[in-house]
Amino acid sequence: MTASGSGIGRSVPRVDAREKVTGQARFAGDLKLPGMLHGKVLRSIYPHARILGVDVSKAEALPGVVAVLTGADLLDIDPYYGHSIKDRPLIAIDRVRFVGEPVAAVAAEDEATAEAALNLIEVEYEVLPAATTMQAALAEDAPLLHEVEKLRPGLFHGLGELRPQGNICYQHTIARGEVAEAFERADIVVEGEYTFPAVYQYAMEPHTAVAQWEGDQVTVWASCQHPYLVRAELADLFGLPVTDVRVIVPYVGGGFGSKSYTKMEPITVALARKARRPVRIANRVDEAMVTTRRHNMVCRMRTAASADGTLLARQVSLWLDTGAYADNGPRVVATAADAAPGPYRWESFHVDAYGVYTNRPPSGSYRAFGATHLQWIGESQVDEVARRAGIDRVEIRLCNLLRPGEEVRPGGKPLDADLVGDVRKIAEALDWDSPKPPGTGRGLGVGLLAAGARPVSTAIVRLQADGTALLLVSTTEMGQGARTVLSQLVSEELALPVERIKVPGGDTNVTPYDRSTGASRSTTLAGKAVQRAARQVRDELLAIAGEHWGVAPHALELRQGAVWYGGKSLTFPDLIHERFGFSGGEIIGHGTVRPEAGKGSYAAGPVFWEVCIGGAEVRVDPGTGRIHILKLVSVADVGHAVNPELVEAQEMGASMQGLGNALFEEMVFDEGQILNSTLLDYHVPTIEDLPDAFISRLVENEDGPGAYGIKGVGEGALAGVPAAVVNALADLGIKVNELPLTPERIWRALHASDVPQRQEPIFKENP
Amino acid sequence: MLGIFQIHEPDSIEEASSLLKEYGYEAAVYAGGTELLLVMKEKLAHYSHLVNIKTIPGLDEISFDPEARTLRIGALTTHRQLEHSSLIAEHAPLLAEMESTVGNVRVRAMGTIGGNLCFAEPHSDPATLLLAWDAVLEVGSDEARRRIPIADFLLGMFETALQPGEILIDVHLQLLPANAAGAYRKFSTHERPTATVAALLQLEQGVIADARLAVGSVGPAAFRAKEAEEMLRGQQPQEELIASAAESASRAADPVDDLHGSAEYKRHLVRVLAAEALDLAARRAQAEVDYD
Amino acid sequence: MTEGLIGQERPLVTISLRVNGEPVEAVIEPRELLLDFLRDRLGLMGAKRSCDTQVCGACTVLLDDLPVSACCTLAYEARGREVLTIEGLAQDGALHPLQQAFIEHTAVQCGFCTSGMILTARSLLQDHPRPTRQEIRHYLKGNLCRCTGYWNILKAVESVAGSGRQRGRVGEEAT
Repeated sequence: MTASGSGIGRSVPRVDAREKVTGQARFAGDLKLPGMLHGKVLRSIYPHARILGVDVSKAEALPGVVAVLTGADLLDIDPYYGHSIKDRPLIAIDRVRFVGEPVAAVAAEDEATAEAALNLIEVEYEVLPAATTMQAALAEDAPLLHEVEKLRPGLFHGLGELRPQGNICYQHTIARGEVAEAFERADIVVEGEYTFPAVYQYAMEPHTAVAQWEGDQVTVWASCQHPYLVRAELADLFGLPVTDVRVIVPYVGGGFGSKSYTKMEPITVALARKARRPVRIANRVDEAMVTTRRHNMVCRMRTAASADGTLLARQVSLWLDTGAYADNGPRVVATAADAAPGPYRWESFHVDAYGVYTNRPPSGSYRAFGATHLQWIGESQVDEVARRAGIDRVEIRLCNLLRPGEEVRPGGKPLDADLVGDVRKIAEALDWDSPKPPGTGRGLGVGLLAAGARPVSTAIVRLQADGTALLLVSTTEMGQGARTVLSQLVSEELALPVERIKVPGGDTNVTPYDRSTGASRSTTLAGKAVQRAARQVRDELLAIAGEHWGVAPHALELRQGAVWYGGKSLTFPDLIHERFGFSGGEIIGHGTVRPEAGKGSYAAGPVFWEVCIGGAEVRVDPGTGRIHILKLVSVADVGHAVNPELVEAQEMGASMQGLGNALFEEMVFDEGQILNSTLLDYHVPTIEDLPDAFISRLVENEDGPGAYGIKGVGEGALAGVPAAVVNALADLGIKVNELPLTPERIWRALHASDVPQRQEPIFKENP
Repeated sequence: MLGIFQIHEPDSIEEASSLLKEYGYEAAVYAGGTELLLVMKEKLAHYSHLVNIKTIPGLDEISFDPEARTLRIGALTTHRQLEHSSLIAEHAPLLAEMESTVGNVRVRAMGTIGGNLCFAEPHSDPATLLLAWDAVLEVGSDEARRRIPIADFLLGMFETALQPGEILIDVHLQLLPANAAGAYRKFSTHERPTATVAALLQLEQGVIADARLAVGSVGPAAFRAKEAEEMLRGQQPQEELIASAAESASRAADPVDDLHGSAEYKRHLVRVLAAEALDLAARRAQAEVDYD
Repeated sequence: MTEGLIGQERPLVTISLRVNGEPVEAVIEPRELLLDFLRDRLGLMGAKRSCDTQVCGACTVLLDDLPVSACCTLAYEARGREVLTIEGLAQDGALHPLQQAFIEHTAVQCGFCTSGMILTARSLLQDHPRPTRQEIRHYLKGNLCRCTGYWNILKAVESVAGSGRQRGRVGEEAT
């Protein structure tokens, strides 16, 4: 039989677009429950202090205040959470470890009252010595953030034993061969120390959670990417069976990792528990900034090559500032280590990666973490090798890049992408061999990101008696187009138009388990589960029809919402009627993805290697040092594009974030306090920052582990762009070892000889 | 979330003035609200009484006096009105050009020229240009009216010469002579500019008869680069002269280190922008190029 | 300072205005922000709160056809005036051409910026039916979008503006 749904490979309009252009799409902050209170959080003003006392009596006495939550309200539970390391109390217990840490929370009848009540809470602190930089945190006599022998593993750590060493909460090493020997032998050695700033994801919808208790059961509506992981952590925190915690995810206003794992949900649930009323907490931007951010990093890297440009060895040490609590830091450390060698055929490499606790806000996931941190560094060293070897910068890559099937890192999944082809595409889009206009620099960067997270996803397809299908899947729609793409997969399998497939939002009481929405995994993994679920439905439809006509299922065809045998057809409603003898009933299929499944080995990890690639052509204004992006190029090595326009949209969005990360985004700290905590002072790309030309190319080699050879995209360009821009600058002779590439920094680099170099950046602590 | 306040709706400057006097430090003038409400939302200030001067008729008008060749711009004229006004386009296109770069389209729709000047935010675009333009501000109270040259009005960061109970009524601009032109240059990396420069040049037979150069955003208040102006007068607008004048303006700046950049970099930006602005102003004065 | 306490005397004002063509009358505190008025009193949830400082444009609504940041505008300011929110843009169920264009050009992702983006573009096109690409970029500069990278938004607005690049695909020149 064949299913001629032609649901995939077509750029059908987004299924959520109409709701969104008419203002009807509902987000967590749009929800109003009867009796709902407004929650506000009192946050620490010190980077490190002991809490001697919290007096909430005046706040509680304020008319309109229903409850004030402090650490003292959590004596009946184990109030610590953290999916990788259980190091974080849901509200400060006896100590604060960063400026912005929740110390108390108020639930009141309206927002103004809640805000006023915050001012009435008196907190007595004893200020402790703080380590507000990694330098300070790694010093011999540094104050310890977590004075424990052994950190407690979180529910989803998968990180082996956790033994903190001083303030290092996690260490990850990957190695192959003997690097020392290779460096001795090398003709060319490039080395340097590099820094990457703390960055704010700025999902436009700040974190929002609404919690409602009914008896011993709690329902949470949250702007979260991973409802099932949030459910598990809430159940663990409050001592409940997971089935007594229900997490519902409406539309999410952008995630980019900032809403991965558990964020504002525990404090909201605890406040609602105390208030005995539904409570909503909606972060402001400055609160979102201290809820999670991208790790700032210091990295030392050296690359060895022979005189002909053959890459031999790479050695890397890197330190990632995970802030006061680990959040997803350990995973970021491991992924950064994976990204550090870059996609080349090394004789040997050695990477030591460390996650460091500091008295700064916690760092977690942000789109293409690890790869974005490392790729611009590694790729700038490859360019430098090419310059010293006197060979073309594309050529050096074509010679040294890994080929499909080659080992990327010991024990991991071999390369599953045609990087050589991808680099050729970028070079072509940049007109690499054409002469450059004067003052123009070109650069490209290629790398790999361990993608997919854990390959655990399930899906249910319910074909209804009227011939429409309901797709139940817990993938969060946060803008990437998951509901559209997953509908298209059902459409493809069932030959049903996309308009006849409905995808409600995630709801742990309704939609089945999905590990998470992130790591570019959904189309590949949730998609695979969806395909399997739809195929079960299809098989049952064919079986019913086959029985009806007395023929084998393979003689039948699915087309236009019906099963066909020769010129005869039975519509899906006909078939359901046939099955149940009644114009009701439904056909249900379910699909599962487990570590064993899929093309290649999921178990070895990663699920797939996401290609991170970008190209740029730039010009620099010598007067101001401002970089002008003439052309930005990305390649989406997607395996198989379900919806080409959505793939391109992902690429363009990631590229612009990449430009922001490369050119100007940086959270500036002073003594652990963020100085630019509003959008007035934290600049993200605007429509005026668009490059003159934006080119996105699709590569569909069907080499991914998902249905139809799909593999994920959406993150790679973010890591590719900074590398491309840094290399384009170096092409102009401007070498930088620190992001972002602010006009001032470029100006200083341009005038390195006649402008005194500033050792300590303004208002900024070294990472 | 804003604190509680009462809003007053005076019919006249006199009434507004007496309200301001009556409530003293608890009162603020409410015009466009773009700066005031932001400050109040961020809890940097609170006023229990807002005096809404938009209920006073006639404060948002632009008029032109052909005899005196002056533009009178009501304090409540929005940035957007100035950006789009045909009178401004005809008589002071440079003002429209500058106004089109203020904040964003929403700030321009609500924010007023008077509010902007009275708030005296150091990164104000209009302040820099109007300082170069020698605008005269008419202020009034329930007792008297007076005119203040803008240079004497802008005293420092968030500080003006307004006395208690005084309200800015309008801005008087003398049109530039036919042989004069100006340019406004700014450099921004954030929402508000890092450095702003306005240059006005009058040329007579290829020689600079009058020069005015103002620098803003880099320090606590916009200032006039007097030495640079002196250097320019009586000279031909050659590249070296412009470079020297720009250098002089840069030396005269008193920039501060902040999130926008180091003092050193801002000083450099002033030099770059001043040179660009002077060059463009000279070319415009010689009718080589027009306003955008 | 403790403002906003329940029990403290709260001054009130009565305002009448039109919202999406419908007359509305309400007794409000002068401090009530237009965004809260629309969302909490009228249940119009299309305007969103994001940066809360007039930078991002997610809360954009049109006040007498001009875009304003509802997060920093007093509801009081709308008295006697006409407010248009995204909910009022479609007429009799027929989408506005901009809404249609945003769908067709995949100019929507998470949707949080979309209402403000469309309303701002609507205001531009009303004054200036055939803007250049540069003019569109200048006008939309104050509306942030973190998802799309803006390119598709530009294409969508251009397609309605009829500025000659209606069906552009990725890869063309931006300026």
